[in-house]
Amino acid sequence: MRIKFSLLFHAFMIVICIIPILILFALSFSKNWAFPAILADHFSPIAWQDLFSGGNDIRHSLLLSLLIALIVACTATTIGFFISKTIAYHNFRRQLLFLAYLPFVLSPVILALCLKFYFIKLSLAGTVSGVMIAQLIVAIPYSIIFFSGFWNQRVKAFADIVNTLGGTNMLALTKVLIPLAKPLLLICFFQCFLISWFEYGLTSVIGYGKIQTLPIKVYQFLIEANIFYAALSCCLLIMPPVLLLWINKSIFLKRLY
Amino acid sequence: MKNNTNILSLALLFIFAIIPVMAGLGYALLYSFGVVGALNQGFTWQYWREAFADNSICISFLYSTSIAVVALLLSVTTALLVSLRYYQPLKKGFYSYLINLPLAFPPIVAAFFFFQFLSKGGVVSRVAYQTSIIHAVHQFPDLTNDTYSIGIILTHWFLSFPFFLLLYTGLIKTQRLNLFFQLAESLGASKRQIIFRVAIPILIQKSLPNILLYFIFIFGAYEIPVLLGRSYPESVSVLAVRKLQKFNMLDIPQGYVVTVIYTVFVLFFILIILKQKKLAYAH
Repeated sequence: MRIKFSLLFHAFMIVICIIPILILFALSFSKNWAFPAILADHFSPIAWQDLFSGGNDIRHSLLLSLLIALIVACTATTIGFFISKTIAYHNFRRQLLFLAYLPFVLSPVILALCLKFYFIKLSLAGTVSGVMIAQLIVAIPYSIIFFSGFWNQRVKAFADIVNTLGGTNMLALTKVLIPLAKPLLLICFFQCFLISWFEYGLTSVIGYGKIQTLPIKVYQFLIEANIFYAALSCCLLIMPPVLLLWINKSIFLKRLY
Repeated sequence: MKNNTNILSLALLFIFAIIPVMAGLGYALLYSFGVVGALNQGFTWQYWREAFADNSICISFLYSTSIAVVALLLSVTTALLVSLRYYQPLKKGFYSYLINLPLAFPPIVAAFFFFQFLSKGGVVSRVAYQTSIIHAVHQFPDLTNDTYSIGIILTHWFLSFPFFLLLYTGLIKTQRLNLFFQLAESLGASKRQIIFRVAIPILIQKSLPNILLYFIFIFGAYEIPVLLGRSYPESVSVLAVRKLQKFNMLDIPQGYVVTVIYTVFVLFFILIILKQKKLAYAH
């Protein structure tokens, strides 16, 4: 009985963790997949070749997504780190944190629909900078909430020691606070990267369909019933997070704990 | 210098977090009362009256709530059972890496995968056909775009189960729950009592803010219900997008009514979450 449960556990874990990735990769290499065949008639790397040769515009979407996610992650991590410090030692910290929660927990598509009017007025709708600003409205609050647990009396005491010994605030920041927060800064960077990388609702509404990031591309291929290119876009979407999760788990969490 | 940094930080908080939400909510509120907007002619309660007279908004809220409740019940229950029974293999080694993989799936990719997996022409249907469980494609049950939203619930479960599994495995480790279990055992508690009277209540209590937060995320989800749901009933986000983005301009004020009600609903939940969390700030 115990062996049966154990087998069931192994099967369950493999089905939910590995099968989805295998199916997506198999589809990205498939050509014809008519019912009732379980596997495609024949496999071809043509979609992947097109990606590398620039034969389709997925490569453009990949690079655009990468650029937007990197800028959003860098900006949100930096700004969030400093804002969270101010909030943590502020008299109205609970109220300010409550307000910071709002953009992060609201449905991105509903938030985007409410903000669209202002983005149109500011001529930011349908532009890359508009999409980045919209994503920052979600990513910065996440970063603030993420760092809210970092600032405590111990960290404050370390910074105060530097000031007591004659060091400047900048010295306290560069020599004490940033080294202390380094693993958290990297994790926050990864998480903000993923928020931007996964974002569909905000990008589709504020980007007006002109800013074709990878999630927008997946939806577009689905509407066109082009499942093989949709699968290729899906594979590209999950590859960086898998890599980041692995780095996150194998390096930074080990250092942290 | 310190004051300047604080003022700059607070200014950035207002610019990037508070002002956009307040401005967006304000615009939605004004539009829903007919004060702004191309077709509006002044303050009116008409759109709110129409919104409440029309059942679709109420049904959407109930539908999104039920999807979120069922998906969370499933994922929390399975995560609790798996983490308590298989804590050792999940703590370190191969499975501790493996369980992270579904977290790499954005909602749109998860929805695409489940469509290819569970639809009538999908992988499960093909396997059922090849193993003679079904003899024609129409014999396969509707698991996507279906009446009971099975596809939507399973996709949400797929995305939330690994999160809760990691959370519970971490909690068992960091809260040293094994010591509580040993104590309960030494006081004569049975295995069943340890699980239901000690482990589950502690884990649920510790994870309540996360459960509530996840409830809000599933409640406001857009990509999964739009790809795997039916045209009726619609989830709140799908209803809001349909009313605000599609062809009938007369629907726009009602769309903003939906967004205002949704925002108030979320505000209420954040208050509960923050109360639960008892913020970990040092005084």
